[in-house]
Amino acid sequence: MALSPAFLAELERIVGARGVVSTPEGRLAYECDMHTFYKGAPDFVVLPETTQQVLELVRLCRREHVAVVPRGSGTGLIGGAMAPVGGVMISMTRMNRLLELDFPNRCATVQPGLINLWLSQATREHGYYFAPDPSSQMVSSIGGNASTNAGGPHCLKYGITVNHVLGLELVTGAGEILRVGGKAQDAPGYDLTGALVGGEGTLGLLTAITVRLLHIPAGVKTLLASFSAMDDASETVSAIVGAGIIPAALEMIDETFVRAINEGVGAGYPKGAGAVLLVELDGPEAEIDAQAGRIVQICHDHAALEIRVAKDDAERALLWKGRKEAAGAVGRMSPTWILQDAVVPRSRLPEIMREVQAIGARHRLVIANVFHAGDGNLHPMILYNDRVPGELERAQEANDELLRACLAMGGSVTGEHGVGLDKASSMPLQFGDADLGFMARFRRVFDPDGIMNPGKLLPSHPACGEGFRPAAPRLPAGTWV
Amino acid sequence: MSAPAVSDALAAIVGREHAPGSAAQLAAASVDGVTPRWRVRPSSTDDVSRIMELAASEGLAVAPLGSGSALDLGMPPARVDLALDLSRLTGITEYVPADMVATVQAGVRLDVLGRELGKHGQMLALDPYGGPSRTVGGVLACGATGQRRFRYGTGRDLLLGARFVQADGTVTWGGSKVVKSVTGYDVPKLLVGSLGTLGVIVEATLRLHPVQPASGSWLFAFSSREGAAAFVADVLASSLEPDRLAWLNAAALVRVGMKGVEAGVAVSVGSVAEAVSSQRVTLASVGSSHGGTVSTLDEGFWSGLGAALAGPIVVKLASEIRRLAFWTGELETALARLGLSSAVVGEAGNGVLRAAAEGSVSPEAWAKDIVAPLREALSTEGGSLVVERAPIELKRAADVWGPIPEPSLTVMKRLKAEFDPRGILNRGRFVGGL
Repeated sequence: MALSPAFLAELERIVGARGVVSTPEGRLAYECDMHTFYKGAPDFVVLPETTQQVLELVRLCRREHVAVVPRGSGTGLIGGAMAPVGGVMISMTRMNRLLELDFPNRCATVQPGLINLWLSQATREHGYYFAPDPSSQMVSSIGGNASTNAGGPHCLKYGITVNHVLGLELVTGAGEILRVGGKAQDAPGYDLTGALVGGEGTLGLLTAITVRLLHIPAGVKTLLASFSAMDDASETVSAIVGAGIIPAALEMIDETFVRAINEGVGAGYPKGAGAVLLVELDGPEAEIDAQAGRIVQICHDHAALEIRVAKDDAERALLWKGRKEAAGAVGRMSPTWILQDAVVPRSRLPEIMREVQAIGARHRLVIANVFHAGDGNLHPMILYNDRVPGELERAQEANDELLRACLAMGGSVTGEHGVGLDKASSMPLQFGDADLGFMARFRRVFDPDGIMNPGKLLPSHPACGEGFRPAAPRLPAGTWV
Repeated sequence: MSAPAVSDALAAIVGREHAPGSAAQLAAASVDGVTPRWRVRPSSTDDVSRIMELAASEGLAVAPLGSGSALDLGMPPARVDLALDLSRLTGITEYVPADMVATVQAGVRLDVLGRELGKHGQMLALDPYGGPSRTVGGVLACGATGQRRFRYGTGRDLLLGARFVQADGTVTWGGSKVVKSVTGYDVPKLLVGSLGTLGVIVEATLRLHPVQPASGSWLFAFSSREGAAAFVADVLASSLEPDRLAWLNAAALVRVGMKGVEAGVAVSVGSVAEAVSSQRVTLASVGSSHGGTVSTLDEGFWSGLGAALAGPIVVKLASEIRRLAFWTGELETALARLGLSSAVVGEAGNGVLRAAAEGSVSPEAWAKDIVAPLREALSTEGGSLVVERAPIELKRAADVWGPIPEPSLTVMKRLKAEFDPRGILNRGRFVGGL
């Protein structure tokens, strides 16, 4: 009965007719996430409102051997929330309630569709916030953040999403409602909570998430330092960390981006700078004052051209505005680019940045960089023009070389975006057969029939079936990185 | 294979001096009175792999062993044939201070590692009560925590990557060697706290932290538990950033040398000197607003905290953070009813309490009057009670881990069946008989 009118009737029985999208135009809206390279529309999109409905949907799909693709806000960058082999996409956007705020226990419980920023907005007046802050936080959902184990600028000090997830409710691919972790920590048994975060929808669907709330720090200080050479900025990053200072965020913006941002959002970054470092400190006032003084000294020691300290919230917001909208700004320079998310050990930063430039020169391409320098998480954007024959191929070669260069330095394929379809084939560059075999068996424990988000996260899965046709590779302007 | 043949095969892997172990060595590796027939001390990952391969093919029950300080943890094993002693795996494989990451072998002791990292102003922020002689692998496998978790997290947050040997001898790597990675499933999370039941950790890549330039520690003493609890609640609801927030009842305070105090909260702050002193001022004013008196502690207080938890019985209680005082009372009362005295030390910002109890109790009363009612009451808030150390007859009377709700238990059983189908790794010691 799979994908037949009878199957549609079953879906409608579970979520109601208004909870199913089955028209070609409707389904097309769900054919990709923000990595528009990968397109694949699902056969149906369903929008459940309860955990019970999600359970029934998974059980139905399991019975009928139909692929299930979970989707949050669709802001992912890895071809995760698209349906390479069709099937049923379960969109969590209607399950977007804030279920509980519990300040004495420093936590909140939310439905997966709740927008990341809404949680911090709801808790701010009480003095709390949710630390993971992917650049997409005004639109991405907490369920999506937990599924991809999202990062953000401030995870240098505070860690990525998994460090902030206390408990989960998950409908597994085996058709069970699993509740793990919660307000009480250290539950005996395997740490399923930790192991399920970052599952990218291949293990099940998150239906509720208990997250840690942090108290808003006493003070925040944002500094911007510009340098004539990228090398000096990279060395400054190492020196700051080497001085035992872990800033809340430590972001690098290269010359190409400085120019694009200045022309775009007008952040007023120093003109002619070869690299800009954005440093944010938070914590007790006395601590950030002392650390800021030390950082200013370190920047001077590394030939900084100019150092600015934001005087108030408005100035701070302006310094960040440029960073947060960087990718959109670059969209004005080039319609098409490939984005990389690889990581290197932070001591190798100066070396990899030289390598990035060399790779760009070798392939006659501009590679623009705006990234989380403090933890070595690069985001090179390889700009190319898809109307120039051969340029896409050169960009793809450059991308591949870049990834290999990072891994040769002991790095990682993805620092915060995730694997999805995009990097599944790169997994063997980082992991051996035994390692991947372990992951595949782990997956099978939660998804015995292989229905959950097929083709994602692990290589050599029958993903490239019918209906999977890569479109023109590009990321839309306004992408959050 | 006959027993002598197994001995020969093990000796062929590690050498005669490292297997099968003398009678005394075997006795020292016994788990809840079950003495292994072999104690083997591998010197490399490859050795561990070959030993596990042998164990798998011979169906030998294996108990991995670090410093041996946590052999009490878990249910009495169904069988132990082979103690896999990792104490020779002491290499610091890779340490680039600028990366603030170190890769070390499982048998490295925390104090040895700490000295090496200290030369570069860095530390591994794991401070379990068993003390600095514990090994990295053991601390991770046991999921052992300490007071620094409030600021730095637990093994779950600090283990970036792990090399481990599966039950069939397959050497496997999970995670990464960089501070930020989401490449594939977070396999290290599965290993932390799994008591070696899914694989033997042989190498760990760890996130390090800078040692703070200045620090201060103080004890806030209160005349009531409620006063101490109100102080903790206020600190948690403030922008103060302590490293450690330890909860002590009167008996625990006596054990650390402070008599006549009903309840205490020990706090440490690490930062630049200016911020240490400014936070001390704020803490003191919060403390006095709840009737607390403050005294300065030296750093040695923290390493002595483990001694406050010495004793034949240790239980760990995890609850909602805000219910710390309530559960301290419940624990004390339940234990006192059967004539047991209890020193309670808590990780106040994390809702975790440990009680060290002394006195004699019958297994029946232990199970019926202490463990069962506390667990039932805790279950309403998702809490748990784990008996971390107890005489064997008490362990037999009440499962030390407590019940795991379904379908979590089923999922855990599926994991175990997938990765250790013959059940040779620490058989019977973990939750649900795993």
